[in-house]
Amino acid sequence: MTDGGTHLSEDERHALAELPASLLAGNDRGAHLRDCAACADDVERIRALVTAARDAARDAPLPDDLWPAIRSRIEARKVVAMSGAPMSSTGSLRPRPVARVGALVTFGALTAAALMLGVIDNRRPPANGPADPGAQRSAAVTATTVADSTRAYQQEAQQLLDRLELQRALLRPEAARALDDDLRTIDAAIAELQDAIAHDPENPALRQLLASSYRQKVELLRRAGNAG
Amino acid sequence: MTAQLREPATAVNDVVDAADVVHRAQRGDLDAFEQLYRIHAGAVLALCRRMVADEPRARELVQDIFVRAWEALPGFRGQSALGTWLHRLAVNVVLASLRTSRRDDRRMVETDDAMGAQGSLADRVHAQLDFDAALATLPDGARTVFVLHDVEGYSHEEIAQMTGIAPGTARAQLWRARRALMRRLER
Repeated sequence: MTDGGTHLSEDERHALAELPASLLAGNDRGAHLRDCAACADDVERIRALVTAARDAARDAPLPDDLWPAIRSRIEARKVVAMSGAPMSSTGSLRPRPVARVGALVTFGALTAAALMLGVIDNRRPPANGPADPGAQRSAAVTATTVADSTRAYQQEAQQLLDRLELQRALLRPEAARALDDDLRTIDAAIAELQDAIAHDPENPALRQLLASSYRQKVELLRRAGNAG
Repeated sequence: MTAQLREPATAVNDVVDAADVVHRAQRGDLDAFEQLYRIHAGAVLALCRRMVADEPRARELVQDIFVRAWEALPGFRGQSALGTWLHRLAVNVVLASLRTSRRDDRRMVETDDAMGAQGSLADRVHAQLDFDAALATLPDGARTVFVLHDVEGYSHEEIAQMTGIAPGTARAQLWRARRALMRRLER
């Protein structure tokens, strides 16, 4: 299609400029370029720009201070993760959770109730006499296992969120809103649990609840991903 | 066409070594992760610089991308090249950053496209005038589409999926970005 039957359209010029020169000769629109100096010149200019852009895809020299900064951030996060304190999302794809009533309010209420019970139970003073070393070892193993589980769910949730961001355009607007509501509710519960763990890092019940919350989030994101 | 960061030139042993480095990094070996960083960070930094046109912000994004990559690496299944996986992760992080801090305060000033003779643009472009500086004058949206399509090699459909805009809009953004860049490079 040409403009007024005289010149190639804007779309055609850009499309032709992206074609390898070898394919240009055999293209119907390309034939127009032999007879029209204006179009040929313009296509050549665009082609020069596209070529320059592709040539520009070169690696940048690395500043010396980048890796130490990344390493220290990773090491800091490892410490935070092991202590069970809240882990901020790097470059988070969604805003920080805002506590609100939503479809999963029951989940939040149950979590809060369990949280209270867990905290109360865990803060009960130990019985007289030395603690049972076997029980201590068992608790430590459980805490480690749960921490690993939480980290795995966190990572999977982040991957699913990344994937979901790509699929978001395919979701119906009301479905996307409902999903965001549910995620905010779960995130609010997670934030409460993380806050509680920050005050009581050794509480295995809290850690199990946190892992469970992340599992819920992962399952919700999986369902959303499948729906998308 | 799916873009990917250029993989290092490899012989068979290098491929095996690279896989071993990835596996070690996946198991939490930070030194192995540093090797991966050394291989891929240059391309990631170049991508960030072009997409945000702001050096301090680009460096912050590189940090964010590699911290995120560290966290997500255990989930990397090797179904694509690590460079491709990392590239997609980097693009997602940059796009998310652009979405949350829209700074389209610069406006592309449209002028009549002078379609006639423009002198030796090709020579001047090939001489590589300050291409990145010209890119920096584009609004975020146009620059994003231009970098993803013309520099990184993504298709309009892929760009539409990543950015949430229609393929036709991506195409129109690209045409406008190219025209604006040509005008600036011709000055």
